[in-house]
Amino acid sequence: MYGSASTHDIPAKATTGLENEDPILLAEFEARIARGEKIEPTDWMPQLYRKQLTRMIEQHAHSEIIGSLPEGTWITRAPGFRRKMAQMAKVQDEVGHAQLLYSAAETLGKTREQMLSDLVNGKSKYSNVFNYPTPTWADSNVISWLIDAGAIVNQMANAKGSYGPYCRALDRICAEEAFHLKYGHDAVVHMATGTPVQRKMMQEALNRWWPAIMTFFGPSDKMSVHTEILMRWKVKMATNDACRQQFLDMYVPKIWEIGLTLPDANLRKNEDGVWEFTEPDWEDFKRVINGDGPCNAERIAVRRAAEENGAWVRRALLQPQARYVRPLA
Amino acid sequence: MLSSFDPRINRLGLPESAPPPPDKAALDQFPTYEVFHQRKENAAYAYVGPVHAPEADVAFLFAKEQFSRRFPCTGLWVVPTSAIQVTGYVGDQESVYDQLPLLPADALPAAAAATDEAYDIFHLKKRGKAHAHVGQVRAASPEAALQQAKAAFGDQRPVVNVWVICSADVLRSDDDDRDMWTTTPDKKYREAIAYKVQDRIDRFKQEG
Repeated sequence: MYGSASTHDIPAKATTGLENEDPILLAEFEARIARGEKIEPTDWMPQLYRKQLTRMIEQHAHSEIIGSLPEGTWITRAPGFRRKMAQMAKVQDEVGHAQLLYSAAETLGKTREQMLSDLVNGKSKYSNVFNYPTPTWADSNVISWLIDAGAIVNQMANAKGSYGPYCRALDRICAEEAFHLKYGHDAVVHMATGTPVQRKMMQEALNRWWPAIMTFFGPSDKMSVHTEILMRWKVKMATNDACRQQFLDMYVPKIWEIGLTLPDANLRKNEDGVWEFTEPDWEDFKRVINGDGPCNAERIAVRRAAEENGAWVRRALLQPQARYVRPLA
Repeated sequence: MLSSFDPRINRLGLPESAPPPPDKAALDQFPTYEVFHQRKENAAYAYVGPVHAPEADVAFLFAKEQFSRRFPCTGLWVVPTSAIQVTGYVGDQESVYDQLPLLPADALPAAAAATDEAYDIFHLKKRGKAHAHVGQVRAASPEAALQQAKAAFGDQRPVVNVWVICSADVLRSDDDDRDMWTTTPDKKYREAIAYKVQDRIDRFKQEG
């Protein structure tokens, strides 16, 4: 699991469009969510709900596909047969998660074909951390452990959200994640408690990845009208800051425990139990997410090549009478 | 040519930049099949998700890969999405059968006609959960099957949504092929329990 819901939200100044919605239907919709019932695909829903969820689930799906690239490239070079098999199983899981998520997003009305087009066109985003490279095996381990851990924090929250198909997909995804997290932790611990060379390699990878990890949950939410509405509708289940705090609380001690350090002198838990840290460079984050990162072009080019190289297989097997049918649930 | 620190990417010879590709046609991938799995012997088949495939046999292979490789599974059904009749959704405390048009007492045929077909019936008990198989009925049409289902299973509550599927449209795993569900014992690396990481951490701390 690689998803971070906060990659790109609807701009805060955009109108909510709520004044154009039918007030009675809107009240029924909100009452259903307040009762703790999930929304299912054929239910009435406000445009803003449909739009934001489509964007969120689609970005999550893209993140699974693109996120499997920096780990996938290490399959053949993974140290030892067992790790090779495990890395392969994990990458296979992630790509499977993308398929589940695309289908969940499709129930909201956007076709999978359009989503796949928008990924290679650059119209849709994916988690920004995958615009950075994995120069060593240790970097791949950092993704397996800490990026997955961050995604799990996010997805455990989203699995309690209000949209039925997304919850169903996330239930299954979260169940498969237990192995990923253990596998990633094991790989990092193995290196960190190994020879001095292994230890150095892991520390350097962690230093490289830490700034990206700190941006994983996105900038602090401006408590806009949008945020307030999306939280009431259980689309957004926790603020970016709350997710970041939970992640730090769960994983910083585990990182320190194996004698690794983090490249932020200000990182500490204060007397109130709140983690303090150096504010990440959000200008750099914006620059990278908008295309100017070390791997943006490469990720999209690889994805596009896979798409184009597989086109003949799809053409050869597609039955002429086949028609598009929206997934049900 | 796009240059990467990763030799594997460089060997692909990808262009540095290329004009965006045209949007895909409406169906450039494959149509979907919905998949139901059985978690253990005698358990009800439950909905797990869709797969894309050019035909049912291939859908079954993909479904086995996608939905049975990580957790126990003793059986699998696949159905073309287009073959599933879906009722409306009602609230978590209600039954969708209550919304069916009331038929006169003699509307349900007393005896099954020879031309009747079997239909599989699935209930959704709670919004956000998965549809589960409740049984089969025989009827002349999906609409008639839904009325038969109301007679047979209508006392169950709640029923948020019903799927009606002509049984002939379901591709089912064969009981004789049961050994295909036996997970290879040497694939423990896919289980969280295979990683005894705490032992290593404790040893590291002691040596510290």
